[in-house]
Amino acid sequence: MLYEAHLNRVYVLCFRLCADKSLAEDATQEVFIQVWRKIENFNGDSLFKTWLHSLASNVTISHIRKQRGWWQKMMNIEDAGIEPFSDENAHCSNQLEGLIMRLPERARMVFVLHAIEGYRHNQVASMLNMAEGTSKAQYHRARTLLQEWMDE
Amino acid sequence: MSSKSVPSQKAKLDELITKAPKELEPTRDLWPGIEFALDNSKQASQQFSKQHVVWGIAASIMLVGFIALLSFESGKQMSGNNLVQQLSEQHVKQKDALLVSLKGQVAVTQNWQQQLQELDEAAIAIKKALANEPNNVAFLKMLKQVHQQQIALIERVHTPAWQKI
Repeated sequence: MLYEAHLNRVYVLCFRLCADKSLAEDATQEVFIQVWRKIENFNGDSLFKTWLHSLASNVTISHIRKQRGWWQKMMNIEDAGIEPFSDENAHCSNQLEGLIMRLPERARMVFVLHAIEGYRHNQVASMLNMAEGTSKAQYHRARTLLQEWMDE
Repeated sequence: MSSKSVPSQKAKLDELITKAPKELEPTRDLWPGIEFALDNSKQASQQFSKQHVVWGIAASIMLVGFIALLSFESGKQMSGNNLVQQLSEQHVKQKDALLVSLKGQVAVTQNWQQQLQELDEAAIAIKKALANEPNNVAFLKMLKQVHQQQIALIERVHTPAWQKI
């Protein structure tokens, strides 16, 4: 079954983007609902996995925007900076996962999409509605923070 | 952070990225929620299909009536001008009824009324041509086709976006 085969892979992506277990679970559900609705759009030009991950990324970003209020999140959290340790860290299976959860939202999303999912900066910029330069700057910021935290 | 440790930290981070887990299991069963949403979608879809069936039946009845009328009128040597008038009247009734039934439903494209207007203009041009050649079958077919395009356009732009996916 498509759901069972891809659930954990989709969920890990949603969780990294959301940094919130409950939000990630809701986003995962939304992803599979959209898969059912948009499956006819899959024309076989790319691997199904690639298509699914692209859909999952876009649906999750959209879900986060809807749930939290994109602008509010951008203004507040970015100013507030680093996320504190939370219950979400306990849900993380390895060191990197826990550190990603601490990243500020924009830096985290860019890092996940570029470093882990392998999207190019111009693709990330388009997904997150930001300039390509901003994506690169956020990625650099994320790496710097992660490298600092690794030795803590 | 010393500058000496930066390369090793970079390498360590790269290694962590490479080894990042590809999967993570959610803590709760997500399937019931998905199933519920999909079932609701199906019900909405079936409801919409029923609406289409009703319209299909109505259109069929009108078509049968129209053919019967044509057969009857042909016996009375119905002129081409009368036929055009009948066609136009039937179409206006069908279009108005459809628009009334879809009132309040949001159209998925902005310029559908403009497209409808363009088709109206095409119909006017064909009718002008028919005024000169009332029994030209090709013109009559063109007029019928334009009418059908208008009905299809109205239905298409009022179809919920997810049903078009």
